Amino acid sequence: MKNAFYASAAALALTVGMAQADGHLKFAPGEGAFSWDSFEALKSMDLSGEEISILGPWLGPDKELIESVVHYFEDATGADVEYSGSDSFEQQIVIDTEAGSPPNIAIFPQPGLAADLASKGLLAPLPAETADWVRDNYAAGQSWVDLGTYAGKDGADALYGFFYKVDVKSLVWYVPENFEDAGYDVPQSMEELKALTDQIVADGGVPWCIGLGSGGATGWPATDWVEDMMLRINTPQDYDAWTKNELAFDDPKVVAAIEEFGAFARNDAYVSGGAGAVATTDFRDSPQGMFASPPQCYMHRQASFIPTFFPEGTEVGVDADFFYFPAYADKDLGKPVLGAGTVWGVTSDSKGAQAFMEFLKSPIAHEIWMAQKGFLTPHKGVNTEVYTDPTVAKMNDILLNADTFRFDGSDLMPGAIGTGVFWTGMVDYAGGKDAGEVAASIQSTWDSIK
Amino acid sequence: MDQLLFAVSTIVVGVFGCVAYFYFSNILLDRLLPASGPNAGANINKANAIRPWLFVLPALLVLGLYLVYPVFSTFFLSMRDTRGAFIGADNYTWLAGDEKFRESLGNNLLWLVIVPAASTFFGLVAAGLTDRIKWGSIAQSLVFMPMAISFVGASVIWKFIYDYRGENQGEQIGLLNAIVEVFGGSAQTWITVPFWNNLFLMIILIWIQTGFAMVILSAALKGISEETIEAAYLDGATPMQIFFKIKIPQIWGTIAVVWTTITVTVLKVFDIVFAMTNGQWGTQVLANLMYDWMFRGSPDFGRGSAIVMVIMLLVTPVMIWNISNAHKENR
Repeated sequence: MKNAFYASAAALALTVGMAQADGHLKFAPGEGAFSWDSFEALKSMDLSGEEISILGPWLGPDKELIESVVHYFEDATGADVEYSGSDSFEQQIVIDTEAGSPPNIAIFPQPGLAADLASKGLLAPLPAETADWVRDNYAAGQSWVDLGTYAGKDGADALYGFFYKVDVKSLVWYVPENFEDAGYDVPQSMEELKALTDQIVADGGVPWCIGLGSGGATGWPATDWVEDMMLRINTPQDYDAWTKNELAFDDPKVVAAIEEFGAFARNDAYVSGGAGAVATTDFRDSPQGMFASPPQCYMHRQASFIPTFFPEGTEVGVDADFFYFPAYADKDLGKPVLGAGTVWGVTSDSKGAQAFMEFLKSPIAHEIWMAQKGFLTPHKGVNTEVYTDPTVAKMNDILLNADTFRFDGSDLMPGAIGTGVFWTGMVDYAGGKDAGEVAASIQSTWDSIK
Repeated sequence: MDQLLFAVSTIVVGVFGCVAYFYFSNILLDRLLPASGPNAGANINKANAIRPWLFVLPALLVLGLYLVYPVFSTFFLSMRDTRGAFIGADNYTWLAGDEKFRESLGNNLLWLVIVPAASTFFGLVAAGLTDRIKWGSIAQSLVFMPMAISFVGASVIWKFIYDYRGENQGEQIGLLNAIVEVFGGSAQTWITVPFWNNLFLMIILIWIQTGFAMVILSAALKGISEETIEAAYLDGATPMQIFFKIKIPQIWGTIAVVWTTITVTVLKVFDIVFAMTNGQWGTQVLANLMYDWMFRGSPDFGRGSAIVMVIMLLVTPVMIWNISNAHKENR
């Protein structure tokens, strides 16, 4: 027993050592289709002795991925970068900045929160030329500039946020093998999707896996559903007005979008575990049902990051694939795409922090993550050949070629709504409350913070 | 290393600073009011009147800094908006009309009625039962054990008890659902059942606090004089009559202290709700609502502080009653 323990300890020590040896730089400089010249260019920055702390929402596999990118910056410049992740980032960053001990750089999953901090003078503006750079180098550049521009403490607008790592949300994931076995085709319109849903029920299956659980953030996956539905039954202008509350939350147009979501989530026959399990199932566990045998469900509507939570060894494109969450064929609204992204802001200015933000513009900072897992970017200067996985490349195309691209609405709303009552309201709705009632209560909170 | 040095030097400076303060302030007082010369008598009287305050002063200053100042600072914060501008009582008028606040207040009242009552009752029963049996102390330590678990730890344990798996999502791993299914019932998502989910959360706190109530009450039961009980026996009282008519009236004061102590804990309940439901499905409570406004999304210190003031106003009378009761007990 003791020997076995020693042996496994030794083996563990060995693998740890190895992981450090070749895990430092994931891809050897000079090899492959990467833009190595942008890596070489970084070496002109000498940052030895600089310590840069970054706080972000990524944990687990995502933490390893961001660290694999950070290693290149450290290697080229000699800076010491410390990334820490928190699954209650929204609370953590507020506490840290208010307490006067912020990290150098914060990675916001929500522009609304970044805007709040900027308005209190807790974010440092980015250099003036950054806005021009984003306009020129990002697809749909102006929209990204708009999303990162906030009013500062003095009320003047400036660019505070830089988008890095973008997600496409209008995706439905499925297991091609299950579709083949049952003889289902990928639906091309919302009408076909609804027909397929009924077909699956008629065949004795469960069409959807939906999970809203996310610890303190429980409810957010439902807001994505509602936003996607908003774009599919209302115009983009209505959508924009909605996120600014120029269109009231309890407007019939919004209530209709909530009920469109309810048509899927509140039907016991449509969702794995029944409607009662929707709100309590963790969104990370929810897609697992597609991979069970026999399948617990056939489809899962979720953003591009979700393969991180697929069972280990799942190959996207083979074992799991996605299709565009379709629009209604008989409504003339094009093919709208809902997306989101993390916005990086400087919370404690330093030479190193500004240098790191500069690094995010370099193609290599994008390509290292692209070559691994689940990374989409609007950066036009990257070499898309580094995508190891053609399906992710396909997803990036959706992002670049959408008729309408709209940012996650809840992230654009004030924090108290978008990361507060909208979430809890959707949980109440999934639990059986009336859509109009929920919408009215969200609107009343919105009125109260104006 | 730096922190260690800093901590050690703080301790050294603190301890020697205190000693030096008491030593030198004493000398100073003796110099200013010497116990000799023409006014010796008056000086001694004056010095004796001042001396206690000299010793209490540092404590008073620290208490003022850590207790009184925050109260006023919170009160002033509660009259400001997110940008720090003065808005008077607006936050309080918002509170009065807010649906979630009313839900929280209602839930807090529920907690306030049920948890102290149930904990004290179960604690009393446990104390009464374990008082007279041989393995009573073992039983007591088992009942007391949950007291050693943190609220969040306890919530994690109970999360598994209330766990729910959907119809085709595999076997139930939640203890409660397993039991329900054995008896032929169907599994429930316990923590989402309106109204009742509040009770399911309260059970966690009752589970924790019963041990506390039991320990204090059992000490009180042991303090009852044997003569009264023997006299009751001789008069032919049944054990039930002895418990309710002889013992309980004698420990009434202790029951009140236990009750109010748990009441104060309940008013501050946050961890269990945060870890189990985060206030969703109609289980919001004041402390968690405060946290939501204070730290989630766009922080609103004004509204958060207004909620804190409400909690404080509710706690204070209970606290005063609790302390005066404890004093009476000690007399």
